[in-house]
Amino acid sequence: MSEKLLKIENLETMIEDKKILKGLNLEIGKGEVHVIMGPNGAGKSTLANTLMGHPKYTIVKGDIIFEGEIINDLRVDERAKKGIFLSFQYPEEIPGVTVENFLRTAKGAVSGKQMSIMAFKKLLKEKIKMLDMKEEYLSRYLNEGFSGGEKKKNEILQMAVLEPKLAILDETDSGLDVDAIRIVAEGVKKIIENTDTSVLVITHHNKMLDYLRPDFVHVLIDGRIVKTGDMNLAKEIESSGYEALKNQLGE
Amino acid sequence: MYSIELLNGLLCKKEEWIKAYRLRKFEEFEKLPVPSWKRLKLENFSIPDFKEYRKEFLKNDIDGEGIFVKDINDVSALDEFKEYIDVQKSFGISDKFVTLGEAFYNSGVVIKAASKLKEPVRISYSLDNENSVVIDHNIIVAERDSEITVVIDYSSLSENEEYMNFFHNGVTKVYAADKAVVNIVKVQRMSNSAYHFDSNVAFIGREAKVNWISVEIGSGISATSFITNLEKTASESSLKSIYFGDGESRIDMQYTMNHIGMRSISNIETRGALKDKARKVFRGNLDFKKGARKAKGEEAEYALLLDPTVKADAIPVLFCAEDDVQGNHAASAGQIDENQLFYLMSRGFNEKEAKKLIVEASFKPIIDSIPVEDIKESINLEIHRRLVYV
Ligand SMILES: Nc1ncnc2c1ncn2[C@@H]1O[C@H](COP(=O)(O)OP(=O)(O)OP(=O)(O)O)[C@@H](O)[C@H]1O
Ligand SMILES: [Mg+2]
Repeated sequence: MSEKLLKIENLETMIEDKKILKGLNLEIGKGEVHVIMGPNGAGKSTLANTLMGHPKYTIVKGDIIFEGEIINDLRVDERAKKGIFLSFQYPEEIPGVTVENFLRTAKGAVSGKQMSIMAFKKLLKEKIKMLDMKEEYLSRYLNEGFSGGEKKKNEILQMAVLEPKLAILDETDSGLDVDAIRIVAEGVKKIIENTDTSVLVITHHNKMLDYLRPDFVHVLIDGRIVKTGDMNLAKEIESSGYEALKNQLGE
Repeated sequence: MYSIELLNGLLCKKEEWIKAYRLRKFEEFEKLPVPSWKRLKLENFSIPDFKEYRKEFLKNDIDGEGIFVKDINDVSALDEFKEYIDVQKSFGISDKFVTLGEAFYNSGVVIKAASKLKEPVRISYSLDNENSVVIDHNIIVAERDSEITVVIDYSSLSENEEYMNFFHNGVTKVYAADKAVVNIVKVQRMSNSAYHFDSNVAFIGREAKVNWISVEIGSGISATSFITNLEKTASESSLKSIYFGDGESRIDMQYTMNHIGMRSISNIETRGALKDKARKVFRGNLDFKKGARKAKGEEAEYALLLDPTVKADAIPVLFCAEDDVQGNHAASAGQIDENQLFYLMSRGFNEKEAKKLIVEASFKPIIDSIPVEDIKESINLEIHRRLVYV
């Protein structure tokens, strides 16, 4: 077994007065690709946001352990500096900051050292090419007026530049057209291979998984992981849905 | 004291008609009380004493073919502006301050453009202890089909130097003849010990445009007024402004678009941020007069409240004496969006950096539209400096 990068132990999370995660357990090793599937409202984004540290989600029980350290109380930016990255289901628009400047500052913040402009431009060019994006995006304001798919691609561009240890992709594939899914998936695959990044993919579709070849597939229902398997589990869900699985589990 | 003796001293070498004009303004001035601004809690304000402003304020010499630019105090500079010097309608932050400017101005420019000019006219005042008072009177006339940009910058010694109460009171009159384009940029970045009063009025001809940019990022007290008269068919005007208030500073903005001409178009966009105990009042009036058919006016004001101790009022008003018009207004005031903050922090920005970035980003499109690089840079630096303690 590879060394564990992330351990989630018996995690319970509340938003406002509502308990969403109800005792969730999950372990992710270095370089592994995990998938979480589950019906709408099951708590997938809640898990993603809790891992990243959104202040609206309170941990009421359990621990998040990253590289052996409990990070329940770490600030969002501290988690980012430790190497956790979230590709947002709904990326925010920040008018007034260009993609390029944003990425350069973020890279400096996350890595703790400022790259030279030339070196950074070179890095950015590479990544842009890998994701088949147009360079003109770099001078546009962050996500402002981007189409749904462009926003998602931009999230993966950020991942490629920031080189995290753990990347959580919250429905990055929704909103992408067929070609874009392939390009993004192949891009993510390349990043993983080059950097030993672990990935937690949240998705409703198998298309991206065909490229990514996940090591584990988990099903999250009502705040818990109810079943873990491999790619076959994802296929089973695609053909027969969550209700069949619930019946099978006797819930 | 703003007395007749002082004025007579200022007028000794002036032409007769100018003397008569300024004495008439003085009479009006004397009869008026100093106004109070209740919302800003500014009452019993005493106007700082008169001083000469002896520094050069015209920064580039582009007086020449198709353009006339002169210091308003130059002998005979005003001869060509007789018909423009007096505005019949009342305008400005208050008649008291307007007549003060008209009677006692110690600086200012007169500009007449006859062709399309690429290079902006640059005027800049930097107040210091010897030159702590600027009372400027500007008259800008753009003739038919001409185009001109005027950038006026007000700065002062910074707070950590020995300083006193700086005082600026300005009056600016703009006339755009048919099909002319006038761009006016006003930047106010004085220290918080300064008082800033600024009254602007524009008259716009057929298919002509006046574009205002106003940057208010300094002064303990700042009251500005922009009154734009869209007088003819398809007259157009935009007013883009940003403000930043900190400490105990108080900002009053009064913007009025008077739609008189048919199919006239106006647009007001204001973005600001307040911290500490700063207060601001924004009054935006879209006034559609009878006959302004198919006119369109829009105003939007967005305020970021960085501390719970700030106070922000927005009073957008629509007057419609004509039915066939379109007027829209939007105003919002709130804290920085929690999800935006989360997004930025997830990319490694700490809370302070993220907030700073959001404030600076909201100002950026307006700052970027200023056509002079070094002024842009000074504004960015000043905002950055003031945001250190967010
Ligand atoms: N701010 C909130 N206040 C109250 N309930 C919330 C809030 N945010 C989320 N929830 C609820 O928490 C539950 C889990 O939401 P979450 O976004 O984690 O679902 P999800 O599994 O990501 O669903 P989807 O597949 O639709 O993206 C939902 O029932 C949702 O309505
Ligand atoms: Mg979700």
